[in-house]
Amino acid sequence: MSQHSEPLLGVARVTRRNPAPTVLAAIVTAVALWGLIPLFVGRGVIDLLVFAGIYTIAGLGVTFLLGQCGIVSLAQSAFYGIGAYSAAYCTTQLGWPAPAGLSIGIALSAALACAVGWPILRLSGYFLALATLALAIIAHVLFVEWDWLTGGTLGIGGIPPLEPFGLRIDTPTRFYYLVWPLALLLLFLHANLLRSRMGFAMRALRDAPNAAAVVGIDVHMLKVKVFILSAVLGSLAGTLFAHYVSFVSVDAFGIDRAIAFLLIAVLGGARTIAGPMLGALFVTIVPYALSSFGDIHAVLFAVALIVAVIFLPDGFGGRLSRLLRRRGA
Amino acid sequence: MSCSFGGLHVLKNVSLVVEQGTITGLIGPNGAGKSTLFNIISGFLSASAGEVRYKGQDIGRLPVHARSSVGLVRSFQTPQVFAHMSVLENLMAGCHRQGRSGVVSGLMGLPRARAEVAHMRQRAEATCDRFGLQGIRDRLAGSLPAGQQRLVELARACIGAPQLLCLDEPSSGLNSEEVVQLMRVLAQLNREGLSILLVSHDMNLVTIAEVIHVLCFGEIICTGSVQQVQSDARVREAYLGA
Repeated sequence: MSQHSEPLLGVARVTRRNPAPTVLAAIVTAVALWGLIPLFVGRGVIDLLVFAGIYTIAGLGVTFLLGQCGIVSLAQSAFYGIGAYSAAYCTTQLGWPAPAGLSIGIALSAALACAVGWPILRLSGYFLALATLALAIIAHVLFVEWDWLTGGTLGIGGIPPLEPFGLRIDTPTRFYYLVWPLALLLLFLHANLLRSRMGFAMRALRDAPNAAAVVGIDVHMLKVKVFILSAVLGSLAGTLFAHYVSFVSVDAFGIDRAIAFLLIAVLGGARTIAGPMLGALFVTIVPYALSSFGDIHAVLFAVALIVAVIFLPDGFGGRLSRLLRRRGA
Repeated sequence: MSCSFGGLHVLKNVSLVVEQGTITGLIGPNGAGKSTLFNIISGFLSASAGEVRYKGQDIGRLPVHARSSVGLVRSFQTPQVFAHMSVLENLMAGCHRQGRSGVVSGLMGLPRARAEVAHMRQRAEATCDRFGLQGIRDRLAGSLPAGQQRLVELARACIGAPQLLCLDEPSSGLNSEEVVQLMRVLAQLNREGLSILLVSHDMNLVTIAEVIHVLCFGEIICTGSVQQVQSDARVREAYLGA
C-alpha cells in the first residue's frame, strides 16, 4: 500500500519530539559516579552493591518478561540455581575452568527453558505464573535431592574466584568492577532490544496477543525465545553468585529467591530501562538497613514493600521517568 | 478462492467465495454463525470438516500469523489495538512481517536492525498521513475513542500490505458520520486492488459490496447483489423483516 501517496483522510501534522541530550549527559555522569562509589564506602556496603549487581542481571530477565511480554515468571530461581551449581560442579568436582561452568549453566538453562517453556507458554495469566512457580519448586526439590550433584543441604564449597585475562577477582571491590559494567552492558542491550522490531513485537503480544498474531507475529515462538533469554540471564547471575561467594547451598535457590526476583521487576518498574537496577538495590539495601531494628526487620521490610507498591504502581523506574519527562516538558 | 465448511453445528455446509479485487459482504442476523465462519477463515478456529482455500492453496491448517504472511489479515469486532503503545508504534508493530531481524541482532543493536526500525517508522509515518492519524500519532492507542481505535486497527492492517482484508463488524461503535468515512476509506482501498470480506449486520455499510452472502442459522440462504438480496423473500423474512 505504501506506494500510494494519496491520503485517505484529512491530514494534520504535528512536530516530533527530539530526544533530550541532557538525559544522555545525566546517564554518563551517573555511570561515572557509580564507578567511584567503592572508593568512598566500606567493604560491607560494597558487598551489598555486588549482590545488587548480580540481582540486577537475574531481575532483568524477569523484568522484560513481565513488562514487555506480560509474562509473570516465578521460575528465575531455578535458572539462577542451575547457573550456580554448574559453576560449582564444573570448577570444583571436574576441575574445569570457569568459562566451561558458565557455558554449561547457560546451555542447560536455555535447554530447560525451551523444553518447559514450549508447553507452559501456551498458558497465560495466573495459570502461567503458577506453572513457573511449579518449575521453581521442582527445581528446588531436585537441588536438595540430587546431593551427588549439588551437595544437597551441605552445599559445595571452595569455588575458585573468576580470573578473566589473568586478573583474580577475589575482593568485593574487584567483583564490583566486574559485575556492574556487565549489568549496565546488559541493561544497554536490553534497551537496544526494546527499540528493535522484536521489541515492538513483544509489546504487541503483551497488549493484544490475537492482534499480534494477525500482524504476522509468531506469538508462541516469540514467548519461548524471550523465556530462553530470561533463563540465560538467570543462569549468568547464578554463575556470578557462585564465584563471588565461593560456596553454594540449596538455601540460596528457594521460592523466596524467586519472589525476590519478581519483586525486583515490580518494584523497579517492569517497563523501564533502569527498573531492574533500582529494584535490585531496594531488595538488597532496604533489608540490610532495617536489620538494625532486630527481629522486627522482616515485618518492616514487608511494610516498606506495601508502601512502595501503593505509592509507586509503576515502580521506581516509572516514577523516575515521569519526573524526568516533567522536567523536559 | 473458495472456503467450504461442513459438519459444524453453527455452520452447515457453507461455501463462500471472495473474488480477487472485490468487496464481498457477509450479513446475517445475530447468532447466524458469521463470527464462527470469520474465525475459521482467519485461523482462530478450525473447521470440523471442509477446507479454507486461498489463491488455490489449502490454508486451513496454517496458524494465524502464517495466514498474515500470505496476505490474509483480519480485524476484530471490538477493536484490538496495542493499548499501551502509541498510534505510531501500533503501526510500526504492524510492519512486523516485512522485517527479518531477530532477537539477537535487536539486542546487539546491529545497523541492519536499526535501519529496519527506521524503515518501519517511515512507513508508519506515511500510513499516519494516509489515514489522517498524524494528529493523534503520539497518543496511546488504548486512550482513544472507539472510532479512532477502529481506524488505527484498519491502518495497522493495511500497513502490512495485505491482499485480502477481513473486517468483522467494522461499523460497530461508530457514529453515522464515521461509518460514511469508513465506507469511503474501504472503497478507496478496494480501488487500489485490495480484496475485502466485510462481515456486518449493518445493511447500510454492506451496500458497498458487489456480492453479498446472507447467512442464517449456519446456512447461506441467498447470494447476490445488493438489490437481489434486498428483494429476496427469504432474506426479508429472516433478516430485514426482523
